[in-house]
Amino acid sequence: MTAGQEPYSDEPAAPARGLTREERGRDISAAQAEAEAKPSTFKRMLASMSPRFVWSMAEGYPPVLKQFIQFCLVLIYPAWVFGVLAAALVYAVVYSVLWVIFWPARAWMKRNKPEEYAASQLK
Amino acid sequence: MGLFSRGPAVTIDVSPAVVAPRQTVAVAVSTGRPIDKVTSATLEWGYTNFYRYHWAGRADSAMAGAGEALWMYDDVGTNVGGDRDADEWVSVTKVDLPCADGVFAGGSSAFRVPSWAPGSSPEIVRWSCRVIIERGGRDIDTHSEFAVRVGRGDVAADVGGSEVIMGGAETVISVDLVSPVFAAGELVRGIVRLTPTRDLPDGDLAVCWRKSRESHPLTRTPTPAGALDGPIIGLGKHIPLRAGAPVALRFEIALPVDAAPTASAVHSSMKWFVQARLFYAGLTAPMTERVLRPIVVVNGP
Repeated sequence: MTAGQEPYSDEPAAPARGLTREERGRDISAAQAEAEAKPSTFKRMLASMSPRFVWSMAEGYPPVLKQFIQFCLVLIYPAWVFGVLAAALVYAVVYSVLWVIFWPARAWMKRNKPEEYAASQLK
Repeated sequence: MGLFSRGPAVTIDVSPAVVAPRQTVAVAVSTGRPIDKVTSATLEWGYTNFYRYHWAGRADSAMAGAGEALWMYDDVGTNVGGDRDADEWVSVTKVDLPCADGVFAGGSSAFRVPSWAPGSSPEIVRWSCRVIIERGGRDIDTHSEFAVRVGRGDVAADVGGSEVIMGGAETVISVDLVSPVFAAGELVRGIVRLTPTRDLPDGDLAVCWRKSRESHPLTRTPTPAGALDGPIIGLGKHIPLRAGAPVALRFEIALPVDAAPTASAVHSSMKWFVQARLFYAGLTAPMTERVLRPIVVVNGP
């Protein structure tokens, strides 16, 4: 075993261990990181429709396989754009309905808990 | 040596076959006949380390998420998806074997197993002595295994306290153990203490063991840690949880007979816990509380 023990002078030092997935942080492309950094959901959806975002999903694969995946991504690109637009439409409809339904709750929060209301509007 | 003749045999005799940390293991390397055209003969003490990794692509890309969803939909239990099992050799000590005029005729060595040595198990490490002979003809790379059994006296007893992994800690759950160190197959005995912070709905309490294998390879992209829970042992139903009225319940959990020992190696680690889970009665009750208490599992006396 290992943890918390003083090494003996007559034994080799324990080799350094690697990092876990959690310790390394998220493993995403620069294009995806840029898209995820956008402040609003609609801007994130718009960024995810860019060809650069879609092509970057083939990053990290070996040569030949990477080019094949990029070729497949080119083929499905129209469907990808259509899917994102459909998702944006559903999001807009559901968001609007919920916005109307929760109007009284927001009004109550704005009147009685203005600080929490202001914080929630920043999200 | 002819083109179709068999390669020279190298026999590695390791004794004893089972050792504890700080004990010495000896090896005798012998050959059926002297091996010629040798450029170098090396003996390495170390272990084969097992882990899982994400074989290609960005682990958290949008497409990886879609791949995982497809795997959950259709191919659970297969290796479809981005994660693969792998093993890698970790050399702890290297010894040059005598090789006069390019001829190798055998050798011997001794190795003191380090105090930090991870215990042997099929899930984390397999210790062995490896002989690598580089030569003008076909190289020789062979090994012989030995097991490292980590005992109670070889481990640090300080493994940390309880950690809340779910819930709002509206009931403070503490898991007190008879000892933090247990052998494989042994009964984990302890007491779960529930201290409600206010008047709460009645609760159902259960405990189980949890083992978690973490992969942390040096170069490859690791997979997320995988956790496995043991059989759920119910300790009580409809337990009244009222402020100022703490509850204490004894428990016993049987560890698997073949439990892999707690270990920390270069590319992967094994951790063990006692998990306590508290459900509250009613639809408007607080969220389920889960608490983990680390323990150390050993595979030696």
